[in-house]
Amino acid sequence: MIKHKKAQWPWHALTALVLVGLAISLYLSTSMMAYEWRWNRVPQYFAYQAEETQRAIDYGSVQEIVVSGSTATVTLSSESGDAQTLEVDADSLQLSRGDDVAEGDAIGVTRHWAAGPLAWGLWTTLWLSVVSGAAGLLIGLVAGLCRLSSNPTLRDLSTVYVELVRGTPLLVQIFIFYFFIGTVLNLSREFAGVAALALFTGAYVAEIVRAGVQSIAKGQNEAARSLGLNASQSMRHVILPQAFKRVLPPLAGQFISLVKDTSLVSVIAITELTKSGREAITTSFSTFEIWFCVAGLYLLINLPLSHLASRLERRLAQSD
Amino acid sequence: MIEVRDLLKVFDTRGQVVRAVDNVTTQVSKGEVVVVLGPSGSGKSTFLRCLNGLENFDAGHVSINGLALDDPKTDINAYRREVGMVFQHFNLFPHMTVLENLCLAQKVVRKRGKAEREAKAQALLKKVGISEKANEYPSRLSGGQQQRVAIARALAMEPKVMLFDEPTSALDPEMVGEVLDVMKTLALEGMTMVCVTHEMGFAREVADRVLFFDHGKLLEDAAPSAFFSAPNDPRAQAFLRQVL
Repeated sequence: MIKHKKAQWPWHALTALVLVGLAISLYLSTSMMAYEWRWNRVPQYFAYQAEETQRAIDYGSVQEIVVSGSTATVTLSSESGDAQTLEVDADSLQLSRGDDVAEGDAIGVTRHWAAGPLAWGLWTTLWLSVVSGAAGLLIGLVAGLCRLSSNPTLRDLSTVYVELVRGTPLLVQIFIFYFFIGTVLNLSREFAGVAALALFTGAYVAEIVRAGVQSIAKGQNEAARSLGLNASQSMRHVILPQAFKRVLPPLAGQFISLVKDTSLVSVIAITELTKSGREAITTSFSTFEIWFCVAGLYLLINLPLSHLASRLERRLAQSD
Repeated sequence: MIEVRDLLKVFDTRGQVVRAVDNVTTQVSKGEVVVVLGPSGSGKSTFLRCLNGLENFDAGHVSINGLALDDPKTDINAYRREVGMVFQHFNLFPHMTVLENLCLAQKVVRKRGKAEREAKAQALLKKVGISEKANEYPSRLSGGQQQRVAIARALAMEPKVMLFDEPTSALDPEMVGEVLDVMKTLALEGMTMVCVTHEMGFAREVADRVLFFDHGKLLEDAAPSAFFSAPNDPRAQAFLRQVL
């Protein structure tokens, strides 16, 4: 049969149409219930203008006010003769020249941008993912190689580790780490959370590493050994680079899972993205908006991650 | 140079015991080219793999240049440095360029400097006639070219002995010649070689001795002219009737 080249764009257009249709029906169904969308409340949870009140330190009076642009420089003279100079935002100034002030009186405020709870949550989720991902990769690499070791003890221990971790829920592991191991060893909640996530990821990475190494043809190791490389040199220079290339897709999947699983450490009161989302809802009452934002922020981490993985995959494929 | 005494290798898979190499005794002197012939499953590849310790044998003695494989004090990696091996399926490292394939062991095992190992690699690639492919990946090369790279890779370690495990069996017929030419050159230069092959022409032309294996037993050890004209063993006679 002759293969005809068909245009692809009508199908992509159809995809777009389906997505738009879904969005419209979602919009219509939410408009039928009594929910008021208040997207304008959301940005302040990312960044807001923090106000810092400037106060007089002693009894006295306002000596001088110099306004330049949006800032005002206020000079106070106290009864003891000391002068105090304060810089505040001009529009927040509540006094005029000659006014008396008491100790602790607010003169005005200074404003600066501060990160809101969602931004902090995003940051916490990011570093939790990076630290536990790196640790998990290391643990997984070691455990995976142990599973392939000729030493029975190493093999048994790594098998026990993998089976124990894979057979119990992550949520339970987090609780055990925090309440049991954390209490026994006096760990901080962050350490307990990272350790639980790293050990959990490590078990899956170990299986991925084992599968990857086993998938490399035996002849590769034989060729390396016949050239005089010892077992670890052969593993490092010949087997692992090839195995890594092969396991990159499942490995990327594991790290994407890890980013999402960090949401579980909110149960031990680590304020990562999910928990800060819940906190934002308690003050904004914008449940729908905040949850959509939180989902969007997880995507913001994970989409570049999968993009990075596929780019790396393509780069490694140049030897094919 | 190579000494094999009473070599025994038994494969025991689910109770089925196969004596893959059965009491083989032979020696190869320096500069000699020995071709190992035999039907498939006769144990000739296993015999070859025992010579550089890729296969653990059950009993007997194997030594090259006085280094004995059966001596537990022998450093197997030091032993293998002196023994080059060429495989049926080339086994080039696919994630490395041709040049990197040739340089890896020189760097990791011989600890040669970058300039030295690359000069050595380039010289060997020129010798096997593919210097223009130095920066290609193996997947871009034909089978014959890949096998020539594999030979160059083994030679880069400056081995005292070269082992060939059916080096032309996985090649298209038109590419067999180029690989055999490289092997002939090597033989003429005085390399000690043990080749498991089905290339009767090569055996007749280049070999100093022919070993014939069947069912793990070394049945015939003769000069090629004698072996091909009048083999003693009936199984060797039958084998030659089939292949010639």
